[in-house]
Amino acid sequence: MVGKDCVAIACDLRLGLQALTVSNNFPKVFQYGDNVFLGLTGLATDVSTVSDLFRYKVNMYRLREERAIAPSTFANLVSSSLYERRFGPYFVSPVVAGLDPKTGAPFICGFDSIGCIDFAKDFIVSGTASEQLFGMCESLWEPNLGPEDLFETISQALLSAVDRDALSGWGAHVYVIEKNKVTKRLLKGRQD
Amino acid sequence: MAIAADTRATSGPIVADKNCEKLHYISPQIWCAGAGTAADTEFTTALISSQLELHSLSTGRKPRVVTCMTLLKQHLFRYQGHIGAYLVVAGVDPTGTHLFTVHAHGSTDKLPYVTMGSGSLAAMSVFESQWKPNCTKEDAMNLCSLAIQAGIFNDLGSGSNVDMAVITADKTTLHRGFVKPNERSQKLKNYKFKRGTTAVLNEKIITKDDIGKYVSVHELEATGEERMDIDP
Amino acid sequence: MRGATILKASDDKTRQLNKHTLYIQANAQLYSMRNETDLSPTALAHYVRGQLATSLRSRKPYNVNLLLGGVDPITHKPSLFWLDYLAALAPVPYAAHGYAQYYCLSILDKHHHPDMTLVQGIKVLEMCTDELKRRLPIDFKGMIVKAVTKDGIRDIEFNDDKVVKCP
Repeated sequence: MVGKDCVAIACDLRLGLQALTVSNNFPKVFQYGDNVFLGLTGLATDVSTVSDLFRYKVNMYRLREERAIAPSTFANLVSSSLYERRFGPYFVSPVVAGLDPKTGAPFICGFDSIGCIDFAKDFIVSGTASEQLFGMCESLWEPNLGPEDLFETISQALLSAVDRDALSGWGAHVYVIEKNKVTKRLLKGRQD
Repeated sequence: MAIAADTRATSGPIVADKNCEKLHYISPQIWCAGAGTAADTEFTTALISSQLELHSLSTGRKPRVVTCMTLLKQHLFRYQGHIGAYLVVAGVDPTGTHLFTVHAHGSTDKLPYVTMGSGSLAAMSVFESQWKPNCTKEDAMNLCSLAIQAGIFNDLGSGSNVDMAVITADKTTLHRGFVKPNERSQKLKNYKFKRGTTAVLNEKIITKDDIGKYVSVHELEATGEERMDIDP
Repeated sequence: MRGATILKASDDKTRQLNKHTLYIQANAQLYSMRNETDLSPTALAHYVRGQLATSLRSRKPYNVNLLLGGVDPITHKPSLFWLDYLAALAPVPYAAHGYAQYYCLSILDKHHHPDMTLVQGIKVLEMCTDELKRRLPIDFKGMIVKAVTKDGIRDIEFNDDKVVKCP
């Protein structure tokens, strides 16, 4: 979710096989730099594989270029890496959030499993609760929210959405990304 | 030459993107409108755009629309329809103005007016009833806009705004949001939550300085011309 | 077990990884020799996951579900990892695989707590096996129990012959 000079990205913590919950400590948001974040939903094994793959690719980028990766560059890296597997995709739908290292402008985008980028100015949703999240974000989000208000908005949108999805929930992580700091919060969520 | 598209992207019945870009750049005077699998239209046009640029660099000529169309159809035919890109190719080259459709299986059409995608029937009905040969640039733009709007309002798979690219012998102008008939009205009230609404179990603030604990971070001064030209 | 035929009743399905497959055992040993230290459980879990993830998209994928338990050689922190054939890895406080999950996880969820002793742990384990004997519609051939401690791995005597009747 985009705010005024800040962005927020959040995920739930459940890992399950259909209806059976295996773990309630499985974060799906990963950090790839000072202010580049990737959220991954979908098949658990691919969430791990893809997050590890991008950690490798981003580290190689940093060594080669001697600078941190920008969110928009990272988005194109994600897109082309996923399309490489066009006919045997990783079953994930990623979300990228971050701030441009030069201008500090918020950047968010989402992808389908084969790498088509969805650039948005407001919010991106993904996962089993995406329909609920669309409804929540479409009504709660407004432009130019400050970091504190953005946190409340994204948290309430996520908590309300996952409460109406049997397959999501069990706690949540919320990151609010600002120019010089990132605030990570663990939310109290329903455990059912 | 005018080419136009709506800006709705769907996944099943869900509107995934309300303002996406379906007009793809191929070369300065050739543009493509895409329908079908979004990732495929995006990457196929990018691939052909790259091949065409290299081709024009090696031949020293401006790329032709037929060349673009042939590269597209040969690529798509090789994949037997598995690459779900349905494209309208439009452009101006030294041989004149050209308009083609390319289907995912590799078949092509060359017609004076064409439509593609879920809104193609609605759009074609406008063309069939109002199209006239040798119309002016303004007339062409207006007709294209009406055709896309017919799709936006009568086809559920199309929606939001009209994007348009107008290609003439000397320049191309991209009108992003040529018509915006579906602007959302300003919210009269808001759902802003009072701060502290959400129960937080744990909070951690990560600052840039924290990273200095593990590696040495130095802000490097840029020194004149030594500085690399990056991310313009 | 092959199909409905039992080939061996007392096969030890646990493997000591720093002394599943022979391949992983060999690689873990190689690491220990090269670096003169044992791989941490977390590192090993991620290594095994990597192997399994590669295998998943190969022509003939491995079809194994694993539980990886270990004690960190340096910090002495114990950890348990749940890893299925799809190579989904999760660090967990307690775990089970297969049909046993449906019976055991609820028991473990109720009785597990983070600083329980080995004796208490065995007691909960016994509750699990009792439940399996009671509810699982297959002939129960007994258990092999091992404890992983910072000093090494040791076998635990476990009474298989306890008869549990359905209520």
